[in-house]
Amino acid sequence: MTTREFDGIRLERVREHVWEIPREGEMRVPARVLASESLLERIGDDKTLEQLTNATHLPGMTGQAICMPDGHQGYGFPVGGVGATDAENGCISPGAVGYDINCGVRMMKTNLTYDDVRGREEELVESLFANVPSGLGGGGIVDGDMPTVEAVLDRGVDWALEEGWAVPADLEHCEDEGRRPDADPDAVSQKAKDRGKNQLGSLGSGNHFLEVQRVTDIYRDDVAAAYGLEPDQIVVLIHCGSRGLGHQTCTDYLRKIEQRHDDLLGALPDKELAAAPAGSELAEAYYGAMCACINFAWVNRQLIMHRTRQVFERVFDRSWESMDMQLLYDVAHNIAKREVHEVDGAERKLYVHRKGATRAFPAGHPEVPAAYRDVGQPIIIPGSMGAGSYVLRGGEASMDLTFGSTAHGAGRLMSRTQAKQEFWGETVQDELRDQQQVYVKAQSGATVAEEAPGVYKDVDEVVRVSDELGIGDKVARTYPVCNIKG
Amino acid sequence: MSFELRPHTADVAVASRGGTLGEAFAAAADGLAAAMCDEIPETGERFSLTVRAEGREALLFDYLDRLIYERDVRGVLPVDNEATVREADGEWTVEASARGVPLGAIAARDVKAVTYSEMRVERVDDGWETYVVLDV
Repeated sequence: MTTREFDGIRLERVREHVWEIPREGEMRVPARVLASESLLERIGDDKTLEQLTNATHLPGMTGQAICMPDGHQGYGFPVGGVGATDAENGCISPGAVGYDINCGVRMMKTNLTYDDVRGREEELVESLFANVPSGLGGGGIVDGDMPTVEAVLDRGVDWALEEGWAVPADLEHCEDEGRRPDADPDAVSQKAKDRGKNQLGSLGSGNHFLEVQRVTDIYRDDVAAAYGLEPDQIVVLIHCGSRGLGHQTCTDYLRKIEQRHDDLLGALPDKELAAAPAGSELAEAYYGAMCACINFAWVNRQLIMHRTRQVFERVFDRSWESMDMQLLYDVAHNIAKREVHEVDGAERKLYVHRKGATRAFPAGHPEVPAAYRDVGQPIIIPGSMGAGSYVLRGGEASMDLTFGSTAHGAGRLMSRTQAKQEFWGETVQDELRDQQQVYVKAQSGATVAEEAPGVYKDVDEVVRVSDELGIGDKVARTYPVCNIKG
Repeated sequence: MSFELRPHTADVAVASRGGTLGEAFAAAADGLAAAMCDEIPETGERFSLTVRAEGREALLFDYLDRLIYERDVRGVLPVDNEATVREADGEWTVEASARGVPLGAIAARDVKAVTYSEMRVERVDDGWETYVVLDV
């Protein structure tokens, strides 16, 4: 048997791209890493494997704790981690969801081609930058008051539809039609609402961005046709989350759990794995609050998408409807969801935690929107601003291997502090424009340096592994044209 | 008192030290500001805050969390932090102040939250040291 060892953690090769850390000591289940040899080298470089092993200690953990091919060190639970806990006798863990609840990605299609945009990139990037709030303190697209925040938390994209910020087709192409029915706005603190009030419709900063892209490759003609993607087409990718409201909600519940369930916390190897026992008052309150934050994040991305339509109208002097600017799909990266999965031949109700991982349900699954049920759920994998992004579809093997999940991006390999030593923001911007015809505009040059293409893993390799495992199948590849960030 | 930004794959860590626990906390808060902004101007009004918690680590967590909250609600970056820490009957209190630089005057990046990951608050020979990972 082939084995590898990193800092005393031994992995056994189960088969191509599947590595297992056998159960020992206090681990409740084994852990698995889905990676090629080269990705495993990177994953073994930091504390990802230690954090993954720690995650197996969560009560009710079922099957295995799994690291996706783009996994890397986070806090508590690794980024790229998937963990399913028993929803009746296990726990729910805010730490395994992360601070940016429903950080995620959506892709909007257009009927424009690259030729329609060439020569106008500067104008487009400037207009997007001027009209889509980003960075710190930039406000939001909507001047939110408290009743607005409450309505958004409760009704999600339904609110946006009522207010003229969405059309019915937007809801039909979003998970849960853009509204989590379990949302409980009362479980979100006033502090969190205060933070979210001024940020409704804003990108934030860090790795969040809005990117105009062109489709460069199609790998599966039938699925691409069902998704409405073709070569040379212009699409828009939006990556952001629930902003300060979601961050505060995670913080609030970590502290409440610490104070109320210190016995459970004391038995876990890392405080950031903070978990509330399934069925407890805090578990129910957190689930309701998290679902409300999911609604907030969907509205956040919806507002940015609709504002982008208005920007395109001005730049191209046509209505957005005539440019067929339709939502392809919206995927969440940081959530926990009550789902039913078959485990050892029996149906089990589970909280599936996906932290830096994407749901990837295959064709035929009843929770895939009707529009895509015959071909599988779209998955959008953003790459760095100098590399391609991918559209995948949920693969047939995902339900058996990963509780219906796959990767969420390229995954970082270099720290932000090191990136700022190695790269200079303006140089990165100039090189991207002059050598790759990618136009970048950011609030802060440091953000460009921290997000330079060289700080990310090879997204092609991440997607290759996902495709070969059959958890997320390659459908199309896109390449950046314009990028704005905080 | 001093701080240093330390590498972390996805996020940023702050290591701080001070002659007193309050100074070490204030230095960690200055590190939080440095993680968001490289060049800080000499503008802004000072404001005060008091935070209470059940332990030293919890207090550091809640103090930095409160500064992030004040940042979003007041629209300022809290810099030049000052803090004193005391304990009575098991309750820990930090009395602190900061100068709030208006966010409109600077190019700042978001720090989303404080984490407990790898957090340390330790007494050393000449004072106190802290280590905090921030979610970026």
